[in-house]
Amino acid sequence: MKKSYKISPSLQALIITFFALLAILPFVYMSLVSLTQKEILDFSFDPATFSFINYVRVFRNFNILVNFKNSLIVTSSACFFNALISSMAAYGFAKKRFAYRNQLFALYLATLMIPAQVTLIPVFVIIRSLGLMNTYPALVFPILNAFGVFLVRQFMVNVPDELLEASRIDGCNELRVFFQVVIPLIKPVLISLTIFTFITSWNDFLWPLVIASRPNMKTLTLAIAALKGNYSTNYGLVMAGSTITFLPPFLLYIVLQRQFIAGIALSGIKG
Amino acid sequence: MKIHRNEAKHAMLFILPSLLLLITFSVLPILMDVYFSFTKYNIIQKPEWVGLANFSRMFKDQYVWASLKNTTLFTLFTVPVQTGISLVFAAWIASHFQNRYGRVVKSALFIPVIASAVLVGTLWSMLLTPRGPVNTMLGLLGLDTVNWLGGKISSLLSVSMVSVWKNIGYFLVIFYAGIMDIPASHYEAAKVDGATGLQQFFYITLPSLSSVTYLVVTLGTIWSFQVFDIVYTMTGGGPGLSTVTLVLTIYNAAFKEYNMGYASAVALLMFLFVIIIQALQKSLVRTGREDS
Repeated sequence: MKKSYKISPSLQALIITFFALLAILPFVYMSLVSLTQKEILDFSFDPATFSFINYVRVFRNFNILVNFKNSLIVTSSACFFNALISSMAAYGFAKKRFAYRNQLFALYLATLMIPAQVTLIPVFVIIRSLGLMNTYPALVFPILNAFGVFLVRQFMVNVPDELLEASRIDGCNELRVFFQVVIPLIKPVLISLTIFTFITSWNDFLWPLVIASRPNMKTLTLAIAALKGNYSTNYGLVMAGSTITFLPPFLLYIVLQRQFIAGIALSGIKG
Repeated sequence: MKIHRNEAKHAMLFILPSLLLLITFSVLPILMDVYFSFTKYNIIQKPEWVGLANFSRMFKDQYVWASLKNTTLFTLFTVPVQTGISLVFAAWIASHFQNRYGRVVKSALFIPVIASAVLVGTLWSMLLTPRGPVNTMLGLLGLDTVNWLGGKISSLLSVSMVSVWKNIGYFLVIFYAGIMDIPASHYEAAKVDGATGLQQFFYITLPSLSSVTYLVVTLGTIWSFQVFDIVYTMTGGGPGLSTVTLVLTIYNAAFKEYNMGYASAVALLMFLFVIIIQALQKSLVRTGREDS
């Protein structure tokens, strides 16, 4: 190849750094604006005038604590139930023999091809006819899918059968084998799955939008969308709400960076 | 035989909770989608059979055509740009920056991935206001300001750029993992033969990453068909129909007009596209494997 096409490592670093800054600076700007009463979005910030008044307002006037609580309840339940239900099913598929096992698993894989937006209406109709509108179960269970089963099963086939057999001979029943032998062995994949579930559920928007119509059931993403819709020029207020929404996943990301990237990247396997 | 029957019973007990969820929220809904699409259904009254009326309306619906056009343009912009940038960055980081710097920029680029699309849309719609930070920067550089969310072409471009901005980190991680899986001996052999960095990229990295690239392109294309949150918060589909998407059309038909039957027909159209894309990817990956 000709020399002229070559991009030196230092130029590469310059380009990558530019994009990395581009990825971070909007969030920095968001948190700075949240501390101001700006009417025009410019670059002048006077730290002497910074205040938390916007945060006080979103908590006091807009009751964002309720939305925060809802997001927390929905997300933690989704994480818990997805980990439990997926690993139970994965155990059945990976460690038990039964008729039509492969066919049933193929059905699981096939459902992964269905985007949630396609089933939005029927799932809404089902939830409504079950009388579950504006309830936590309605916000949690429809977002769980076969992906967790697929992911955990892949990991679980590597758990040696001899280990399970040995504990059965020691007198463990099936539940004990599952909870005391299998679960501890699949911890890494459960952490990845939980991080993945956390992000999808915390950031979910369309499903809560249709299923949570009562103010006391709305989640944080709905709250910022509403803030933005109704107070779009009150920049400080909207950015305060946004910062509050962003903080939990961001802090978790800071603490568990490596697992986070692994967990999110796993969703790629889905395709 | 007894043991085997017990084993099947245990298996079913473990699988049952997930199977119930799968049937209730995936299998049954797809069948209902198909049924609803042949009916007029407003959720209060019983569905009323209307034959192919929803489908014939769909082919005349300007929202559907605008959605398909917008999705096509969106895909043609986002997929090459995000795939290209993330692939090149992954290759650069893998070949020169497997160090602290590389880890820091990867972590930084990943931050938009963990933010919700609603938050990203809200944030960027503020950054892109006519007198907002982006236009201020353009002014400082001596460039013309742009009415980002107000113009027909610029609004679709804005939504596309914001999507790319959100996705780069994600695809970077996937590509980087793919490059790390390529045996180092391939590169060593190439170096002995005197291959330049660019030659190594085109003759080793790129061919070894073909299935990862198919995956990234497929995911990006499927995501284009699923766009909703960003458009909902940034443009609401406007101005005019310039950023309308299929999911927005489904949402409006179902939850603004309460026309569940028609919305289901549009949902099936979306499903058809997604299935075709996934089938294409599967066959491409398969032929790719046979070639090598």
